[in-house]
Amino acid sequence: MAGNAIDQTRRMLSLVTYLRERPGARVADVARAFGISEDELISDLDVLPLCGTSFRGGDLLDIDTDGERIWWHNPDDVAEPLRLAADEATALLVAARAVATLPGLREGDRDALLRATAKLEAAAGEAAGASSRLSVTFEAEGGVFADVDRAIAERRRLWLRYYSPARDELTEREVDPIRLFAVGHTYMEAWCRLSEARRTFRLDRVAEIKLLDEPADPPPIELRDLSDLSAGLVQTGAEDPEVVVEVGPGGRWVAEYYPHDSAEELPDGGLRITLRTPDPGSLRRLALRLGRDGRIVSPRGLADSARDAAQRALAAYGE
Amino acid sequence: MAIAKAERLMNLALCLLGTRRPLTKRELRESIEAYIEAAATGSGGGDEAFNRMFERDKDDLRELGLIIETVESVDGEIGYLARRDSNRLPPITLDAEEAAALGLAAKVWQQARLAGAASGALQKLRAAGMPLAEDPYDPQPAGALEPRIPVHEAAFEPLMLACRDRRPVMFDYRKSNAAQPEQRYVEPWTLECWRGHWYLAGWDRERAAERVFRLSRITGRVRLRAGAYTAEVPDHVTVRETVERWSGETATSTARIRLRSGHGYPLRARALHTRPLGDGWDELEIPYGHGLDAWLVEFGPDVVVLAPDELRADVVDRLRAVAKG
Repeated sequence: MAGNAIDQTRRMLSLVTYLRERPGARVADVARAFGISEDELISDLDVLPLCGTSFRGGDLLDIDTDGERIWWHNPDDVAEPLRLAADEATALLVAARAVATLPGLREGDRDALLRATAKLEAAAGEAAGASSRLSVTFEAEGGVFADVDRAIAERRRLWLRYYSPARDELTEREVDPIRLFAVGHTYMEAWCRLSEARRTFRLDRVAEIKLLDEPADPPPIELRDLSDLSAGLVQTGAEDPEVVVEVGPGGRWVAEYYPHDSAEELPDGGLRITLRTPDPGSLRRLALRLGRDGRIVSPRGLADSARDAAQRALAAYGE
Repeated sequence: MAIAKAERLMNLALCLLGTRRPLTKRELRESIEAYIEAAATGSGGGDEAFNRMFERDKDDLRELGLIIETVESVDGEIGYLARRDSNRLPPITLDAEEAAALGLAAKVWQQARLAGAASGALQKLRAAGMPLAEDPYDPQPAGALEPRIPVHEAAFEPLMLACRDRRPVMFDYRKSNAAQPEQRYVEPWTLECWRGHWYLAGWDRERAAERVFRLSRITGRVRLRAGAYTAEVPDHVTVRETVERWSGETATSTARIRLRSGHGYPLRARALHTRPLGDGWDELEIPYGHGLDAWLVEFGPDVVVLAPDELRADVVDRLRAVAKG
């Protein structure tokens, strides 16, 4: 794949510089320093002896390995550290600036990040220019974040008052925090002692939080890959009840915000959306919000409960 | 078997970096095995095959940051070289803490091109002497935050490159309440990620005005257009303010509501004043901006709007639509 060839070329250029300073470097150490697997490193080392520094040819890099250590027998002074490309400077600077704005970041880490960012901007020179054309803001509730962070570091249990929009209520629970992650919003993954299951909590829905003295004791569970998580934080299963919603043009946003099985175009410019949810009752809010821009088609009971709620609400206005 | 592209690119890079005088295309073609092969096997069109390959390779190396100079000699022949002094990374000294912080930052991209570029940057810094930070026995210390920048939109990469290179673009865009997409002709300025969604700010040529676009509403391909920008790029672009206005977060006045006790926590969290009424209800004063009516209706019979009349009428209107079923 072309993308891989470019990444590999970039890596091999840095590798040559790195190896020049470290005769007899260990394969395991070099792989770790470059953030790649030993197999990837070995495949780079297979290519390097076919590459040369002289346009006349024949003057090839004499780099070899016994699988444990790496030797370069004719080190050349061509191998100097290379300037950063615009994309490289952008990728690192934008990410560093975004992470530095996380309110709950430990002060020491934030200081280190700001120092590194300033040095990087200076070293990148004009390559840093394009990085202002991309920006990312994470959201995190500062105080809550700091308490969760501390609980994880000290392995302590937390008490929460947590808001559930589906039921419009606050529940109290004790949880053993596992990790914090930020994908748009900031979330805590934790073992909930109340439901005896893994739960994901959005920090901006934590109404109150306290560190408890009990040690956290989450059962060993396998962490889900964050790239899977961000594709859909709400985990729905095929066995969950099916809900069908029909929206007009003004309700098309539903398809952007709710993961769904299908969205069929309607002749009036609307959509017929089929989705699954472990808790159809939570969609009553959606039905109320949609107003004339859409309605729940099925299940029937859900449509009735939205209508009933609207009628009771109207009663308070004398209707 | 064809020679791997990475090997060919590596050879070209090393040749251009290693030379002290410009090398002509002919010299490069005769000294890099992959080019000799391409020129020989391109049945009659060998020259053309080589030329295309060579141009692409130079572009790829430039993407990696290499500055390749083109020099015309006295007899009119073009030569190429990558001068060491213009390609060298200026001295940079990072301590172990700074290295660890950059290591965390490099992991946040969930987009292939930027993830690759971020690792590439770290590798260059590593080659320049950046210390290895992590404790090898505990690669993921407890409490480590894992921030991730989500990128699901196909339009992201072409728009990122268009912003970088200042290239006008065309794309089909479906506004949130429109059934059909419309073609837009835009000079892209910046991309911003806010609450997990990506937005583009730029100059809309047909509307002759600044506009913000949500990437998830771009349908189909982003097409690059030739030519320069016609509008001046501002120093500060206010993507976030525009998006907040869309979502009604910039309140212009306040509203008074009755809220059933124990309900509507998010409304309580934003309330400017809360007064218990003693009959199982509280009275709240809350910020009033665009979209408040739709939000209040979500709480059904647990909210009653007291003032202003306009908001009260909007809420009643929405409730009637649902009550009719």
